[in-house]
Amino acid sequence: MSEEVMVSVKNLTKSFGDLLVLDDISFDVKKHEFLCIVGPTGCGKTTFLNSLTKLYDIDRGAITLGGQPIDPKKQNIAYIFQEYSTMEWLTVEENISYGLRIKHVDKQTARQRVDHVMNIVGLSKYANYYPRQLSASMLQRVVIARAFAVEPELLLMDEPYGQLDLQLKYHLEDELINLWQTTGTTVIFITHNIEEAVYLSDRILVLTNKPTKIKQSLTNDLPRPRKVSAPDFIKLRNEVTDLIKWW
Amino acid sequence: MKIKLKEMGNSLFFSLIGIAAILILWTLGVKFTSVGLLLPTPLEVLQRMAYTFSNAIGRELTLPMHLAVSLRRVVIGFSLASVCGVVLGIAMGRFRMVEAVCKPLFELVRPIPSVAWIPLAIVWFGIGETAKTFIIFMAGFVNIVVNTYAGAKQVDENMLGVAYMLGANEIQAFFHVVIPSCVPYIFAGMQVGLSTCWMAVLAAEMVSSTEGIGWTITAGQENGDMTQIFVGIIAIAVVGLLLAVLMRWAERVLCRWRVRGK
Amino acid sequence: MSETRKTVIECKHVSKTFYSMAGDNLVVSDLNFNVYENEFVVLFGPGQCGKSTILNLISGLESPTGGEIVVSGEKVSGPSPKRGMVYQTTNLFMWYTVMQNVEFGPKMQGVPKKIRRERAQKYIDLVGLNGFENQFPVKLSGGMQQRVGIARAYANEPELICMDEPFGHLDAQTRYLMEEEVERISNTARRTVVFVTNNAEEAIYLADRIILLHNCPTSVHKEYTVDLPRPRDYTSPEFLALREQITADMDNTL
Repeated sequence: MSEEVMVSVKNLTKSFGDLLVLDDISFDVKKHEFLCIVGPTGCGKTTFLNSLTKLYDIDRGAITLGGQPIDPKKQNIAYIFQEYSTMEWLTVEENISYGLRIKHVDKQTARQRVDHVMNIVGLSKYANYYPRQLSASMLQRVVIARAFAVEPELLLMDEPYGQLDLQLKYHLEDELINLWQTTGTTVIFITHNIEEAVYLSDRILVLTNKPTKIKQSLTNDLPRPRKVSAPDFIKLRNEVTDLIKWW
Repeated sequence: MKIKLKEMGNSLFFSLIGIAAILILWTLGVKFTSVGLLLPTPLEVLQRMAYTFSNAIGRELTLPMHLAVSLRRVVIGFSLASVCGVVLGIAMGRFRMVEAVCKPLFELVRPIPSVAWIPLAIVWFGIGETAKTFIIFMAGFVNIVVNTYAGAKQVDENMLGVAYMLGANEIQAFFHVVIPSCVPYIFAGMQVGLSTCWMAVLAAEMVSSTEGIGWTITAGQENGDMTQIFVGIIAIAVVGLLLAVLMRWAERVLCRWRVRGK
Repeated sequence: MSETRKTVIECKHVSKTFYSMAGDNLVVSDLNFNVYENEFVVLFGPGQCGKSTILNLISGLESPTGGEIVVSGEKVSGPSPKRGMVYQTTNLFMWYTVMQNVEFGPKMQGVPKKIRRERAQKYIDLVGLNGFENQFPVKLSGGMQQRVGIARAYANEPELICMDEPFGHLDAQTRYLMEEEVERISNTARRTVVFVTNNAEEAIYLADRIILLHNCPTSVHKEYTVDLPRPRDYTSPEFLALREQITADMDNTL
């Protein structure tokens, strides 16, 4: 991992009327870092994400990506949310190459990249299927492949595996790690699931309840592939749980 | 919160500007162009309106009394339409037999505009109250049936299952699940129905009547009294608006369970 | 437990086929298992493998195409208030308040108002919704709606409660909370519970016994008796070892 800073958030503050949601948040994300953000249920994580994507105007502070003020229209940022927002009228392959066509990537390169990501997530056999013909897990793979195909500078993920069953989640998480390691993308991954955060991240940012601040930043240098029953893993998981536990 | 109030203030301000602009244009047009031959000024209309509040239009009824006559007709026709429409709508939505028998007939009746019933109503019922009630009824009935039927069709079968699992019988499930989940649809139908009833009463009165707000307009036309026509039109608009507001308020009270937030 | 414990559910060679124009779909095939009185049984299996269908068969909303299901000595032939159900999506009567929802069952069966109010209040208190009796469900969060669903099922005092992935739509933290709540509730008001989930953590945390199901068509693959002391620790070595074993076995069912 390089020391180059990819995303820099400084004094991010946002309130809705009298309700202060984000309270002076500052942190950096290094290039090719996998950052997980966890917080208690109902912390301002949606507001936080919408501020990053410029959906909301922020009251104060600055967010930069690669030194420039963040702007999804100009910069190469990809999102993966909980809803599998595929385009129903396009095949799997067309869905995945859609972002590349919009960005006028030449056909040869596009072809290669699409094949590469489809291969990693195991969609090669389903290239000509339509979204309706696929299961939820397959759709989730399409969405992930589409995000990685554009080789984004920054990938934002908001609890993409929330509703999937555990087993499938493991498979998809492993695929995600695989893609992340081969592409060198910087990832910000927001989740409620502490075990997932420990499994995926290089670093965990723990948020407080509203008004949201950063409670702690924990480096996670457990060796990969990780094992959920390893003593170190459990130790870190319990540490994060103790920071968040409200239930 | 502050921002919202400010926004509301702003849009109110612009709405008022819109209304004021029309009134000014109207006044200027009447004063300075040949439009004046066809139109009274807003002020004249307002003065006449105030005058007819206590003085009769036609033989003996004042403006509020004419409105009351029309409203009474609407209330009768609309109530009948609501009762019959809800019953038929739910029956069509819940019972296959009723649906099979009534739906084709209903689909035939549905596109007929309510004014088309006027000649028939006069032949069948004469020019008395019954004919008017019938026309108003037909106007409201169609909308209420259409919406109630859609509501009864979409009742969540799972929710019926829930009720059965908790020990409800068919009749209980009907009253505790089917009816409440239709209520928002019934209301939508009644809202549209009430405004079409209000339109229909005017149409009915313009054809055959000796009183009512619709008649004041026809009378105005026969006497070449522009101002009276305008008084009638504005009264109709205001009352129509009030009826719509009333329905919306009733919905908010009766469908409290759908309101999120505080 | 002794051999003489009372059997509440007997599933005998149960199968279910859905017939349609597009073709017949065998969802459950030769399913056999028993559930005993006051036992907390978790039906666990991957994806869409007909787990909900099994609950619908037990509750009587659907009938098996082969075999039979006997609950407390009676063959299931239709829905009955003796068998309560908690659903994945909350399925509350949105037009009734929390209290009206919870007292619905007793009310339908003609329990006098005073008695059923008391009973409903008892279960509202038990699920921790004291103070929300007169709220409409839209104003409650997902977790709280699910609590109302649980109170509603318990207020009917059924001999058997089926829960169909009740926390599937909740976030991970709220789910932990609800699992602890279910644990507490079923300790206070002991009932026979059949709980369906696809989450191994949830299964191990709650179950006396886990029945791992085969994927379509569904049948019993393996059973585990969970005798870890309660309340269980999600990160204890025994817990994680069992979880690993069950997820590994689950891979074989696909």
